[in-house]
Amino acid sequence: MSDNDIKLEIDGREVEVPAGSTVLDAARKLDIEIPTLCMDDRVDPAGCCRMCLVEVEGQRRLHPSCAYPAAEGQKVATHNDRIDRHRKGLLSLYKADHELDQHGRPVSRGVHNRLADYLDTYGTGPALTPVDAPRVARSESLETNPYIQFDPESCVVCGLCVRYCDEVEAVSAISLVGRGSGTTIGTADQRSLLDTSCELCGGCIAVCPTGAMTEKPSVTRLPQLQPPKAPTSKVRTTCNFCGVGCQLDLHTEGDQVVRVTSPKPGTTLNDGNLCVKGRFSYEFIHHDERLTQPLVRGEDGQLHPTTWEVAIQRVADGLRQVEARHGTDALGFVSSSRCTGEENYLMQKLSRAAFGTNNCHQCAAT
Amino acid sequence: MEKKGAKRKVVLQLLEEHGGMRPGVARKVSEETGVPEADVYGVASFYTLLSRPGAKTRVCQGLTCVMAGAEQVIAELKARGEEVEAVSCLGQCDRAPAAIDAKLELIPGAPSGGITPSHDALAIDLAGEDDPSYAAFDKARDEGPDWIIEQLKTSGLQGRGGAGFPAHIKWHAVRTQAELTRYVVVNADEGEPGTFKDREIMLRRPHRMIEGMAIAAWVAGAAKAFIYVRGEFRDCIRALEAAIAEAGERLDWLDIEIVEGHGAYICGEETALLEAIEGKRGMPRLKPPYPTEKGLWGKPTLMNNVETLACVPEILSRGGEWFKALGKTEAGSKLYCISGHVGRPGIYELPLGVSLDELVEAAGGYVGTPKAFSPGGASSGFLPMDLRGEPLDFGGLAKLGSMLGSAGVVVLNDTVDMAVAARWQQIFFEDESCGQCAPCRIGCRVQRQAIDKFLDARAPESLGHVEEVAWEMDAGSICGLGMVASLPLQSAMKYFGEEFDHE
Ligand SMILES: Cc1cc2nc3c(=O)[nH]c(=O)nc-3n(C[C@H](O)[C@H](O)[C@H](O)COP(=O)(O)O)c2cc1C
Ligand code: SF4
Ligand code: SF4
Ligand code: SF4
Ligand code: FES
Repeated sequence: MSDNDIKLEIDGREVEVPAGSTVLDAARKLDIEIPTLCMDDRVDPAGCCRMCLVEVEGQRRLHPSCAYPAAEGQKVATHNDRIDRHRKGLLSLYKADHELDQHGRPVSRGVHNRLADYLDTYGTGPALTPVDAPRVARSESLETNPYIQFDPESCVVCGLCVRYCDEVEAVSAISLVGRGSGTTIGTADQRSLLDTSCELCGGCIAVCPTGAMTEKPSVTRLPQLQPPKAPTSKVRTTCNFCGVGCQLDLHTEGDQVVRVTSPKPGTTLNDGNLCVKGRFSYEFIHHDERLTQPLVRGEDGQLHPTTWEVAIQRVADGLRQVEARHGTDALGFVSSSRCTGEENYLMQKLSRAAFGTNNCHQCAAT
Repeated sequence: MEKKGAKRKVVLQLLEEHGGMRPGVARKVSEETGVPEADVYGVASFYTLLSRPGAKTRVCQGLTCVMAGAEQVIAELKARGEEVEAVSCLGQCDRAPAAIDAKLELIPGAPSGGITPSHDALAIDLAGEDDPSYAAFDKARDEGPDWIIEQLKTSGLQGRGGAGFPAHIKWHAVRTQAELTRYVVVNADEGEPGTFKDREIMLRRPHRMIEGMAIAAWVAGAAKAFIYVRGEFRDCIRALEAAIAEAGERLDWLDIEIVEGHGAYICGEETALLEAIEGKRGMPRLKPPYPTEKGLWGKPTLMNNVETLACVPEILSRGGEWFKALGKTEAGSKLYCISGHVGRPGIYELPLGVSLDELVEAAGGYVGTPKAFSPGGASSGFLPMDLRGEPLDFGGLAKLGSMLGSAGVVVLNDTVDMAVAARWQQIFFEDESCGQCAPCRIGCRVQRQAIDKFLDARAPESLGHVEEVAWEMDAGSICGLGMVASLPLQSAMKYFGEEFDHE
């Protein structure tokens, strides 16, 4: 342990954390569960959802553990009657501000429904009538982007999407808009995301605790209010759109891929992040015109299925013929950003060493 | 993540110049500043003078103005086909019902209220002649910062912005920071319903406040001072500019910048105010860290209310003991704003700790049969008349579950329905919540709907959850607004229970 370590006590248990840690960091080290809605390790804490409040000895008010600095000798309580009453009261308020299903549970169209989870775990205080907040969100008919859906009535205004877009993507396509009970998420002049700096990375979806930001294609195929048509499961794979090697979790329904997410932040090299291709470009998997085997054009001008051996031989013959007729520099080799670094290397090897031309290029090299 | 070289600080000013939140304006301001467009739009949408721009009459719907017939004024203007908007308290309660025109200038109505005639035992002395000599500053500089802080300590000066925090502690805290770039900020955002004292200081004694600010800057080691004035106080801004010009080279060493507010009560909260100066949405920050440690752009910042700073020159001229002795139950003389059902609404400088009866006596007596009063603005809730003899000070009122706050005292007589009065205060808090944290964002709306529903049907069961929701707003909110936002309704129910039973 370094000299910087801070010793504190949480729920009567001692723990040591490095300087600069928060109370939440320390609690996690002890596997003490503290509910959170507005925090994500990838962005700075905002302390605004108030879900994670704890009692710090000597402090009159409750403080957000996600932002409160751990300090030497500090004594923290993460559950007692006061905190319990606070959590219940807060959850009552969230519930009154949220779209509910016919069973009175918060609706989420995404993969997370943390509000519902916390309601199950911590219960509620007073049963309040829905507040019908005066939120002015983008009109659905104008929001023509194909990928990202925003349901203001499932939003807890935690601001994570905004902070992610700013602090991680450095795009700032969205912002908190309005004030008071009307506060919601919007774009400049409430335009479609397509007319903003948005890169459609879907990171705002990934961080959303309540599925207010969701994958539009998944929602239209998978109305969450109905039971799934076939058992769902998750399959880990590597994205093959580029050589970075992001890990993907393919969510499948029967043999259909219905949604793509990243593994949890901190567990794979993409740290919870994906780009528009990895997250959304999976329609081709089930596309009618998808190539699933090598095709070679026959004398009749039509493409015919064949084996890899035949197809590769055909390419080799063709290249040699061009070389013989017009010289090596009549050839050019273009490889794809969907190839790995090794594959790209081999492609330029083929170009330079096997054929002796520098006419080689890669689609992402411009 | 701020882009390098982005000129965020001028975002609000540019938004105003381009006419507020209209299509295309966010893009223009974004191009001019390098701040992302969505961000600019989000900022614009926060401030009512920007999000609801336009040439129109803005009529105050603060409690005092409503009691004085603001609703009729609105109806009449509308009937004449004028564009009107009802807005939160304009800080003109002594001339209720108040309104401002398209250029935010006060529409001449009743003359401004009464003030205490000048005499010797007053720290502010609104009626006295403003003194541009800056002699107190010269004396302070000769005596040195330790002496100044010692005098403030002896004087017992408590912050006049609402919290009553001892001034000398903040001054000392900023002075002793390791970081050497420091700022001084004057909080002139005066927005607490019922409060209009800072307005009159800026109009009548601008030098007194500026001198206090200069002393603060000198003690804090700040080369730059900001005065954040609510945008609706056009005449105050002019008075300050004139006084700064008049002070001339005496203040050359200090860079003074007046920053205008754009319509958001919450920007009176110190950390929201810092965000506003920085060109952001005025959402309060988490504390700790406190502004004395990490304030404007992360630098130590000394912020005081207009009245607090205006007390300083006389404290230093005449000594801390002199100031302390001016008080009754707590130190100093105090500007009490009084409006509502009294003979001569206005601002009366009295010993800190006078009772309501003593204050009202100075203000020309009660009008009608008094029933309730608010001792310190909307945030202090309502008290019944049997507490009329209690000292109006920081400590005593806090013990009663109320507060002196900004000393915006409002008197209500028996023509007022307490449920209706409570509703106007709850409307104020719902309109002015910044919306950052759920307890306040949702809670303010819940409370307002509860009293609405009660008034619709006089059904007491609609008030069944008021207490529990209030508890959570107090426990869970980030800032003082959410913590006290249920008080008007709670206190009305507590002290005037019979009006909430049934009909
Ligand atoms: C919701 C809210 C509104 C406030 N409004 C004002 C205000 O309009 N003017 C002011 O001076 N202080 C206001 N304050 C108090 C400030 O946060 C701060 O305490 C004060 O400016 C410090 O100066 P002082 O120590 O001289 O009082 C407000 C506080 C809260 C929580
Ligand atoms: S998709 Fe990515 S770039 Fe677009 S708003 Fe969401 S986080 Fe920002
Ligand atoms: S959309 Fe999701 S991430 Fe964004 S503020 Fe709402 S709940 Fe939070
Ligand atoms: S308590 Fe209200 S005003 Fe204060 S930060 Fe929370 S939402 Fe904003
Ligand atoms: S997770 Fe700490 S306040 Fe939201």
